[in-house]
Amino acid sequence: MNNTKERVALCFTNVFPAIKQDEIPKASVTSLAAWNSIAHVTLLSSLAEEFGVDFEIEDFETLVSYPLIVEHLEQKFPDA
Amino acid sequence: MTLNQALTIINSRRESGEGGIYYLACGFEPLHLTTLLRAHLLESRVDRKNLDIQHGVYGDLRGNIDSAARSGAIAAAVVLEWGDIDPRLGLRASGGWSSETKADILASCPQRYAHLESAIEKLGERMPVAVAPPSLPLPPIGNTIRAQSSVLELELEQQLAAFLLRLARLPGVRVVQRQRAEALDVRMELMAGFPYPVPFADALANSLVKVLCQTPPKKGLITDLDDTLWSGLVGEVGVKGVSWSQEHHTQAHGLYQQMLGHLASCGVLLGVCSKNELSIVEEALARKDLYLSAESLFPVHANWGTKSAAIGRILKTWNIAADSVVFVDDNPMELEEVRVAHPGITCLLFPKKDPTAVWGLLGELRDCFGKPVLMDEDRLRQASIRASAQIQEMADDAASPEFLRTLQGKVTLDWSADPADKRALELINKTNQFNLNGLRIEEAEWRRHLDDESTVLAVASYEDKFGPLGKVAVLLGSQRAGKVTVSHWVMSCRAFSRRLEHHTLDGLFQQADAGEVEFAFAATDRNQPLQEFFESLGISAGADGSHRISRAGFEEQCGVLPHQVSSLTNKLTSK
Repeated sequence: MNNTKERVALCFTNVFPAIKQDEIPKASVTSLAAWNSIAHVTLLSSLAEEFGVDFEIEDFETLVSYPLIVEHLEQKFPDA
Repeated sequence: MTLNQALTIINSRRESGEGGIYYLACGFEPLHLTTLLRAHLLESRVDRKNLDIQHGVYGDLRGNIDSAARSGAIAAAVVLEWGDIDPRLGLRASGGWSSETKADILASCPQRYAHLESAIEKLGERMPVAVAPPSLPLPPIGNTIRAQSSVLELELEQQLAAFLLRLARLPGVRVVQRQRAEALDVRMELMAGFPYPVPFADALANSLVKVLCQTPPKKGLITDLDDTLWSGLVGEVGVKGVSWSQEHHTQAHGLYQQMLGHLASCGVLLGVCSKNELSIVEEALARKDLYLSAESLFPVHANWGTKSAAIGRILKTWNIAADSVVFVDDNPMELEEVRVAHPGITCLLFPKKDPTAVWGLLGELRDCFGKPVLMDEDRLRQASIRASAQIQEMADDAASPEFLRTLQGKVTLDWSADPADKRALELINKTNQFNLNGLRIEEAEWRRHLDDESTVLAVASYEDKFGPLGKVAVLLGSQRAGKVTVSHWVMSCRAFSRRLEHHTLDGLFQQADAGEVEFAFAATDRNQPLQEFFESLGISAGADGSHRISRAGFEEQCGVLPHQVSSLTNKLTSK
């Protein structure tokens, strides 16, 4: 697991404390019951704080799973 | 605190015991404010228990306040924004900012404030409430450039200030110092209905918790003199050589004197501890240009012994513990000597060469001694400490009944359980020495006691020829099926040695017409005075571990009751 994945996983654990470690890589809005609209904003705010980045409004609509979030961060903010 | 730090704190307490519910009432989506408020509340808790935060629905501040009043919360935070006063002052409304609209906003705000005031007043009757005024900027509706205030903005601010003033005077309501958000998070507000950048939400949550969960204020301040209360060493430069004025470039000491004068007016005990000759100190303190009354300094200890020894004597005179006292001195070594000898005392350095740091010290002193409401008893404290010292000087055995009779004491026992009386709860939550078990009561729990028909509450006031002490003792219990159980009993240390506790227990037997009283006693590190009182009456743990005394047993052991007693009930009777 690279550094970005670990840091994203940490944010998932912060926002979804009941999540198991092996559930994180495949976590998505549809698979995780606790991932509601409030949790979504909290998760992206937690990620923004962890990586020191700002998400665009459209990112809130597209970043709906762990793989998508990791891919987005690695591509758009490789140095974050 | 960052959002991730807050989440970590919350997650670390999930398995802790439940420590109650707090209510966050706001008109916006509370989002990160809930998280940060919860984390700051958790950090403030000594018992390390978990807690929960309830909040209402988006866009209905008034309804959320009503909902908070109906909830089982132990305290509430109300966060106002301009959009709650009039939605047209928020970002998510489309009512327009025409001249007619602006006139209508100004005309309709008073009614909105009146509705909110009524709701907050009811909430304040149920639990402590912290109200945060609007922190976001008004929309750009002024006719002026941003650097210039418009009449409209000033009129809105004036209405707000009048509203906050009314709130600050309501029982149970505390207004948070107004903070300005550096920037409105427009994107988050439009997307999620949450207007604050995280750092500001953190600062606001921190302020709300500070206002809601205030630590008990310190009771006394002991000050050094040379290079602290004044500039210069009075023993070297003489009485006229020390200074504290702008003229002598020593105004920082003058500011400190004014602060002490202010604290004295709020009921803080002020004492002096100085390595000096007493005669020259007395002469210096008699200077007419001192910025505080020398009368407010009591006792004054000036000698060449250690400061810790002098402070020990001051604490004995005041009859309070070291952890209720602040000691201010310009010498770090003296502070350390006192800190080691009196664990718990707060030692603050007077930064004599740094006026900016002195200004900071004054702010720190405000936080040490500040309290939500100033009571009549606060203003009586200094005089009653002096009276106690006089009493000690007048009689070798100050507690003898013969001597106490000469005081012409009057005890008033108030049984009316008046919810407006804040003093009773304050006494329970700050008294350590004469305290049945050390248990404190949250304000919401206190109100439930007052609403309970089985509650027995006695609030004892005392006065004698030396003056009034005010309300100095509280006994709280319940009466069920003829049995009286006392859950809380405290008495201010200012009222010791006057047999007020004997009068209170005698009053309880009479008021409740009880044959026996049971006490929820627990020994603490500090309640030796109460333990000694119990021993004097022969109250000890029975076979079942409970502490009881019968009426006959009390009358046999009680001895002389030296004072005149009046009882106040709902019907105002006296015996």
